[in-house]
Amino acid sequence: MTKVLAIGVVNTKRFLREKANLFFVFVFPILIVLMIGAFFGGGLSSTVGVYAPGDGELSKALVQGIDDLEEVKVREYGSEAALIDGVQRGGVQGGLVVPADYDERLAAGETVEVGYVARPDQTGILLGETVNGVVQRQANLVRAARFAAARAGVPYEDALPVAMVVAPGTERVTVTTTEAGAEDSLTAEFEGLGAFDLGAHQELILFMFLTSLAGSAALIQTRQLGVARRMLSTPTGTGTILAGETLGRFNVALVQGLYIVGGTVLLFRVDWGDPLGALAVVVAFSLVGAAAGILMGAVFSNDSQAGGLGVLIGLGLAALGGCMVPIEIFPAGMQAVARATPHAWAVDAFSEMVRRDGGLVDILPNLGVLLAFAAVLMLLGTWRLRRVLTR
Amino acid sequence: MAGNILEARGLRKTFGDLVAVDGVDFHIAEGETYGLLGPNGAGKTTTISMVMGLLERDGGDVVVDGKPISTSSTSAKAAIGYVPQDIAIYPDLTARENLDFFGRLYGMPSSTRKQRVDEVLEIIGLADRAGDRSEEYSGGMKRRLNIGIGLLHGPRLLMLDEPTVGVDPQSRNAILESVERLSREGMAVLYTTHYMEEAERLCDRVGIIDQGQIKAEGTRGELVAMVGGRDRVHLATTDRTEPAVGPLQQHPSVDEVTAADGSLELLVRGAAEALPRLLETAASAGVSVTSVDVVEPNLEAVFLHLTGKALRD
Repeated sequence: MTKVLAIGVVNTKRFLREKANLFFVFVFPILIVLMIGAFFGGGLSSTVGVYAPGDGELSKALVQGIDDLEEVKVREYGSEAALIDGVQRGGVQGGLVVPADYDERLAAGETVEVGYVARPDQTGILLGETVNGVVQRQANLVRAARFAAARAGVPYEDALPVAMVVAPGTERVTVTTTEAGAEDSLTAEFEGLGAFDLGAHQELILFMFLTSLAGSAALIQTRQLGVARRMLSTPTGTGTILAGETLGRFNVALVQGLYIVGGTVLLFRVDWGDPLGALAVVVAFSLVGAAAGILMGAVFSNDSQAGGLGVLIGLGLAALGGCMVPIEIFPAGMQAVARATPHAWAVDAFSEMVRRDGGLVDILPNLGVLLAFAAVLMLLGTWRLRRVLTR
Repeated sequence: MAGNILEARGLRKTFGDLVAVDGVDFHIAEGETYGLLGPNGAGKTTTISMVMGLLERDGGDVVVDGKPISTSSTSAKAAIGYVPQDIAIYPDLTARENLDFFGRLYGMPSSTRKQRVDEVLEIIGLADRAGDRSEEYSGGMKRRLNIGIGLLHGPRLLMLDEPTVGVDPQSRNAILESVERLSREGMAVLYTTHYMEEAERLCDRVGIIDQGQIKAEGTRGELVAMVGGRDRVHLATTDRTEPAVGPLQQHPSVDEVTAADGSLELLVRGAAEALPRLLETAASAGVSVTSVDVVEPNLEAVFLHLTGKALRD
């Protein structure tokens, strides 16, 4: 056991001494979780640039209406050209142009167009819809004031303030859409997830596995340096060497896993479900990753080969196992194929705990499958390493 | 056999159709330095790897310190210190960390390990650089650390596989002096080399290995006696050598003459004195000698005698 620890500690020490490894283990995963949460979870505030040179009440109210939206900020620009430049440079995600004579033309009964500029990406388009909602609400007020002016003979200038006061108290019509079989629908499946939850679960599994495969390079170097054979020249068996090498990779995967879980809880309030269950999944998947890294380190004979193929295999299995697109979106046949990857079982364990309120007991089958994956990969790795070292 | 730290019998290893080691037997007594002398590709490293239990054997047995050794056995390895031909250290660890790591693998308790690491660092002359990563060392320093790891646990048998290959003369001499000192202190040593002068300097007994077989074995004196203490004289000639073979064989100091294309090989007693008359004889037979090379009896000559080729072929 002392020898296993010695090999494991040296492995971990060597891995962590490499600055690039520190970046990929600790910094990169959090950045990716942040980016995915921001892009797909709607979790970060967007900024709308505004050019509204007029000083009318409606013009000001429109800008204020946008500023009042949750998670939307307003940045004012001094010219339309500056606003467009800001959008093009990504300083703001969308831009609203309100004509200088906005209030006057509305008062005159004219139809006034406000301009919206955005880059042709998902954020810009979605933000446009949000801005459009605010414009429509104001348009409804104007229509109401015009209606009152036309029917009751009240001047538009008097009717508009009344409409603005009355509107917030008006009972709204709520339309609820219910899909047939809603309990099984995707909507129900993902309902209640935080902006970063799904991405964090997926990225945890993806990165732990990628890091473990990258760790195979250390075993290849140990072989190339002749250190592995030299270890065999000591009173140390192949099994002990394998266990030590596995421990080294397990340490890194476990530390990375716990770091991502802890970091995302603190930074993004990600829900990982039952803490014991989450810990069990991280431990079991660390074993899978470590064993996979050992097998790769035993099969390949140079680290650049392992590095290239490791990324390919890591990303391929992650895609297949639901770490990029939720497995529930896959066709039925692909969902069955995905079950051949450990990733799918790990992601599913988090889904069970977070989306379906499961606990440790509910994910025992997943943990069993993950441990079986680890055992098979370890056996293959041991067999292969012994073969390459002693023949 | 009583008093032997190592016994190897009938070692055999093939790689596909290539027979790398073919029935090698040898033993090393307690405190003895035994050399395996042979050219590159002779089977030295394959033999030492099998003896060390690093390589699976196709046949044969190895017993170290009374215990059988194989790739799956570990207990006998505690008696052995192994210094591989290529430097086998972690470059991103310091000398102290490398030594400490292997000390743990040899099962040394922490109380003695630290002290022994310090001692070995002194022995290999790296005490003042012990905290530097070994990737920052010169080639000679790395070689010394490579040897230091083999010495760490105070083995009864030290196996060094061509430890001076690619080493500068100063470091090479330091390595040879270390081996001599360890030998004087009573450590048994298995030393493989293709440098005749190293085998002559260090080894009590030498096994001459070629094409996977030990061709001869003994002390330097015993091996040299195989060529009868005779000098080997190489005469480079014009193409015609046959006319000189008969007259040279009748010369009283010549024991053997072998003709080859463009050269004559003679085994001669007292070549220095006989050489002028040998050249006259060749000239009288109409064979023109273009150059002369005299090899005094040494292990190189023995190797040449046994295999018909030079050690560095």
